[in-house]
Amino acid sequence: MSRFSVVPSGDGSPEGTARPVTLEQLLRRSATGDETAFAELYDAVSPRLFGLVRRVVRDPAQSEEVAQEVFLEIWRHSARFDPGKGGALSWMLTIAHRKAVDRVRSAEAARHRDEGYGSSNQDVTHDSTAEAVVERLDAERVHRALDTLTPAQRQALELAYLSGYTHTEVATMLDLPLGTAKTRIRDGLIRLRDTLGVTR
Amino acid sequence: MNDDIHALSGAYAVDALDDAERARFERHLAGCTACQAEVESLFAAASELSVLTEATPPASLRAKVLGDIATVRPLPPLTAPTDQSRDQAGDQPSDQPGDQLGDGADAPPVEQLADRRRARGLSRGWRGLVAAATVAVLAISGFVVWRQVNADPARTIAEQVLAAGDATRTSKTFADGSTATMVRSGSLHKAVIITSGMAQPPGGKVYQLWLQDPTGHMASAGVMPPGPDQVVVLEGDASKATGAGITIEPAGGSGQPTSDPIALFSFA
Repeated sequence: MSRFSVVPSGDGSPEGTARPVTLEQLLRRSATGDETAFAELYDAVSPRLFGLVRRVVRDPAQSEEVAQEVFLEIWRHSARFDPGKGGALSWMLTIAHRKAVDRVRSAEAARHRDEGYGSSNQDVTHDSTAEAVVERLDAERVHRALDTLTPAQRQALELAYLSGYTHTEVATMLDLPLGTAKTRIRDGLIRLRDTLGVTR
Repeated sequence: MNDDIHALSGAYAVDALDDAERARFERHLAGCTACQAEVESLFAAASELSVLTEATPPASLRAKVLGDIATVRPLPPLTAPTDQSRDQAGDQPSDQPGDQLGDGADAPPVEQLADRRRARGLSRGWRGLVAAATVAVLAISGFVVWRQVNADPARTIAEQVLAAGDATRTSKTFADGSTATMVRSGSLHKAVIITSGMAQPPGGKVYQLWLQDPTGHMASAGVMPPGPDQVVVLEGDASKATGAGITIEPAGGSGQPTSDPIALFSFA
């Protein structure tokens, strides 16, 4: 079980067990202007959000800018989060991904995108051993799920999600007929979803 | 269900559509519950991948973020409208209070954005013109202007439209990089156009705005004031209009469009 579930949290994680406060609760408190709750939310999710932004944007300075915008966006819209449409983390990651992609598709960012970027998670630090173990297990679970994709599906999905290319660009890069990449992305995502047991 | 467009769900969920495709898919999504459910599940599946890219942000980010939020008021929740304005017999009743980020913020997400779009198209006459003008609908541009407008404490009609829970918007970017964004609120019966960097019309001409009714008739919605950056409320009732357009007309405007539109915006 992950520290926080991407998928339906809220109802699924009883209070008072592993994690006393859910991300949904922190969002709801943030919506009332509670900056302490938002700081807690930041501490809980910033490695996930920043890491994704950094993976897509690559340039460290721009990644930080985009992440800053993402958090302000989340703060401003915290009252608009609708748990009926998915989990809080998924909602926040969707905002982060969209902003990161918008940035790399803008012309000036294109110049920087290939400049020095090594391994995406090389600079992760963990505050506690237990958390590190949970994180490692989470990553292993996702790695195993990715292994169920065909190499072609996985490649298309990674180029789209982690590198921020459009399906048309992916098709061109991989020398595929137009329309093939979008099918691979969808098929790969569906398999990932079903393997991970994501319900919404 | 249109199989071809349905197949875009995966690319949509990972932001791998270009702007025109995204706009097209969101229009489809508004009326396709199967796609809505699928897209939500695929968002969640894609989000799982971020466990592989975790990285500790620089310490400076935390201070910046907490500094930012101290100066910004969170938006109010979207509430159910107290007045059920009857604008269109063909409208689907909307029990969803609109989208989660629908106030004109710059991360227009996703299935919620499409939720409140109406499943109506431009009528035949304009549809042909749309094709001829090869309008690219860009859902992203125009937000800098938007923010400036939104930050103004005075609640003009324009601002009310921009902040309306049911506001829909479409943008066009012209070849010179200038943009025009049309925002329309059915509940407020009004549409607003926001231009940024618009070139001067040719000498002696003006930009004229039009609203098209469901029968295809185009009614003048006023003439744009001169200047590259404008926020203009269209004259007339936009709640029944199926689209809006901009043409170049002789000074003072025309009773009917006398030229092909330079931009068209569907309210569908």
